[in-house]
Amino acid sequence: MARYSQYGNSLVERRTMLRGSLGAAALVGLQACASATRLAQTSAAPPPPAPGKTASLVPIRVTPDQLIDLKCCLRPLRAAGPNLGNEMVRDTLVIHNYGHGGSGWSLSWGSADVAIGKALTALPKEIAVIGCGIIGLTTAVLAQQYGLKVTIYSRDTIQRSRSFRASGSFTPGSRIALAEPAGPAFGDLWEQMARFSWKAFRTCLGLPGKPVEFADNYALSDTPPQRRVWTPNPAITDSYATKGVPLQHSEFAHLDERIRDIVPQSVALSDEENPFNVAYATRTSQMHFNFSSYAHMLLTEFFGRGGQYVMRDFATPAQFADLKEKVVIHCTGYAARDLMKDTTVIPVRGQTGWLVPQPEANYGVRYKNVILLSKADGVVVQSNISNPDMGDMLGVGNSMELANRADTEAALKIIAPIFAPPVRRAGA
Amino acid sequence: MRRLILALPALAPLMLGANAPSATSTLKGVYSDEQAQAGAQLYATRCAMCHGRQLEGTYDTPGLQSRFIASWNKVPLSELYDYLGRAMPQFAPGSLKPDETARILAYLLKANAQPAGAQPLPADSAALRRILLEPVSAKAVPKTK
Repeated sequence: MARYSQYGNSLVERRTMLRGSLGAAALVGLQACASATRLAQTSAAPPPPAPGKTASLVPIRVTPDQLIDLKCCLRPLRAAGPNLGNEMVRDTLVIHNYGHGGSGWSLSWGSADVAIGKALTALPKEIAVIGCGIIGLTTAVLAQQYGLKVTIYSRDTIQRSRSFRASGSFTPGSRIALAEPAGPAFGDLWEQMARFSWKAFRTCLGLPGKPVEFADNYALSDTPPQRRVWTPNPAITDSYATKGVPLQHSEFAHLDERIRDIVPQSVALSDEENPFNVAYATRTSQMHFNFSSYAHMLLTEFFGRGGQYVMRDFATPAQFADLKEKVVIHCTGYAARDLMKDTTVIPVRGQTGWLVPQPEANYGVRYKNVILLSKADGVVVQSNISNPDMGDMLGVGNSMELANRADTEAALKIIAPIFAPPVRRAGA
Repeated sequence: MRRLILALPALAPLMLGANAPSATSTLKGVYSDEQAQAGAQLYATRCAMCHGRQLEGTYDTPGLQSRFIASWNKVPLSELYDYLGRAMPQFAPGSLKPDETARILAYLLKANAQPAGAQPLPADSAALRRILLEPVSAKAVPKTK
């Protein structure tokens, strides 16, 4: 705690300043920030905050009574990466577009572009899209943008798909493939899809309802932050090749470095800038998707362009050939494991808790393997507290799709202390 | 105009008689492997910086596979040849020599799964007018993963 002693004086000033200039409302959120500190140091009569900028961070309410939803989904990790191959089912050309692990949202536009490109070589006027999760619906809309008439055949629309049970951040490299089965060429394809998608998401920034937006994300720790290096565990001699599932983090493809030039990187915050009740903080800007408005945006465009939606299910891929469209793009995600009998699709369970939306607290935090992110439809809570050393292995092979409330409540308990007034203020 | 040309291949034997050269297709093997290899090298230095090392394109720059080739379906190769020659590369339009343009075109055909033949593609717009670009449909490609 000795490291806080030097801030005593400036914090008194800061408090005085905020009380005087911004009033009681600002005092409620007196979690400090760099701008407040600077104002305190420069003059007695600071200007009001610039439009759109908050003077301080509002604490996120994390008590269990704020929990309004629990969701669980299975990421479709496919060992070799997404299936973008094609095959004939009788007289019907089927292009696959499934198996995007934890990267379906993030790669949706780029992956759609690749799949539609293949479909277009058959010169169709109309196509069918099977599945209406984020991959299916995006594929349908992009195909319309390319001039095709599109019908979606799906059991549910996107709101009831597994995609809606994701957390919805731009994480294009999350459980996207295993390095060995995917092979060295996969990196180029991944990068192409990630860059294409990034540009497409950029076109959604600033739209009403904020289907896509950026938020500051803070990584907090009690000890100096260190970049974790994952080395293969020599004691584990088996692997996906022998067991059919990955057995350790190092088997996964890690590709994020390839787009480092466009994705914001983290910066360490000084003590003055750190508004949390914890010793160390880094900040990065992260893009995320607001499910409700994003789905609304895509569905509005889909139907606006004359898209048709047919509610139905498929028991076998042979039924694809019964459709009137002779070019089909198949986008059923995890369901493809059974439908296509593709056992290389491995379930990776993910659970999210959702707190009451708190738009005034427009940021995210990560502390002790608990992650919070304030989004339009709620504050999403994720945790990896039971096995923090598992890395990408968390949830692998687990197809239990029911949520466990106790896990989320435990996560909230762990992260709650960071929103307490900073210790350093107690003596101020 | 394009519609007119489209109708030509089917009617050509009737309209033009046996002596006129009939239209052919890129599916018949209209470039040589050697020419396409030379084109790949040119592509790497003159085109790849915009269209991507693997012709993948970007969100802003057209890729040169699948969608590209579908967009040029049934168009005489001369139109693409002339376009490349006069408008590409964007930063130095008109800087490709005719035989360079033909090599790059041969490479684009090869990269789009079009079969090679014995003869190189002629660097001659008039000769290319009778070759229609036709995509190799994914329907014709064996199951891929």
